[in-house]
Amino acid sequence: MNNRLKVLRAERDWSQQDLADQLDVSRQSVNAIEKGRYDPSLPLAFKIADVFGLAIEDIFQREGAEQ
Amino acid sequence: MTDAIEEKPEVAGRSPAFWGAMMGISYACLGGLAATGAIEGVALLMLMMVPTALMIPAIKSANRRVDSGGNACFAKGEAQKRYLKRVAISTSIYMVSMGALVFVAKTPDVAFFWVVLSALAPGLAILGVFWAIGRLIVEEQDEFLRMLIIRQSLIATAIALSAATIWGFLESADVVIHLDAYWWAVLWFVGLAIGAVSNRVEYGAWGAV
Repeated sequence: MNNRLKVLRAERDWSQQDLADQLDVSRQSVNAIEKGRYDPSLPLAFKIADVFGLAIEDIFQREGAEQ
Repeated sequence: MTDAIEEKPEVAGRSPAFWGAMMGISYACLGGLAATGAIEGVALLMLMMVPTALMIPAIKSANRRVDSGGNACFAKGEAQKRYLKRVAISTSIYMVSMGALVFVAKTPDVAFFWVVLSALAPGLAILGVFWAIGRLIVEEQDEFLRMLIIRQSLIATAIALSAATIWGFLESADVVIHLDAYWWAVLWFVGLAIGAVSNRVEYGAWGAV
């Protein structure tokens, strides 16, 4: 699964730790999700969407989908 | 904006990985000495306390990292703190019970009840570590870290069970020497370390056990 986490984070000038704190997860989790090494569960994906004020599909796209 | 995971706080002292490696090397040396018959019986039991004692600096080092906000190996979290506390208690009980086991082994004419009790106690203390890992899986709120811990445990289980099965059949055929069964638990802990390396390669983080 592809995601725009890094771009969205850059737009807000947040570090991985800033985002991790808001999501109440570890910095490693944010790093793994951002690099596409780990796909978050649906509840965590909703939480990420809430933090950015976007819909899930605005952040995560299926593999091969246009960004 | 920081791009990666590298923003580690400064933490004094050796890392938990260093002490873990020291434990692994100590167990490997003891395993080698025991397999070749160079040491056995009470001497082996006494020397088994050395690698376990290395858990103390390992736990202290891990606690320093948890308190400082964590790095690539240990994340900040209450579940990890409770886990480390439980492992510290189990390790302490193990050390004391090993002392008792050595004492009973060296004392003549001990009642059978005390022989059984002293032999059971170290095993039960190690069960405490298994229980602590189980509780960590239940209590860890970070789903990514929980997945890493489960992955580590499965890799360790696969290695230990596979080795035990192969060795068992080889032993039945008198190809290899007899090994006391607690060595499979030791191998399981080595498997946890291998699982951590696998996590690092696959997911970029070591895990939390």
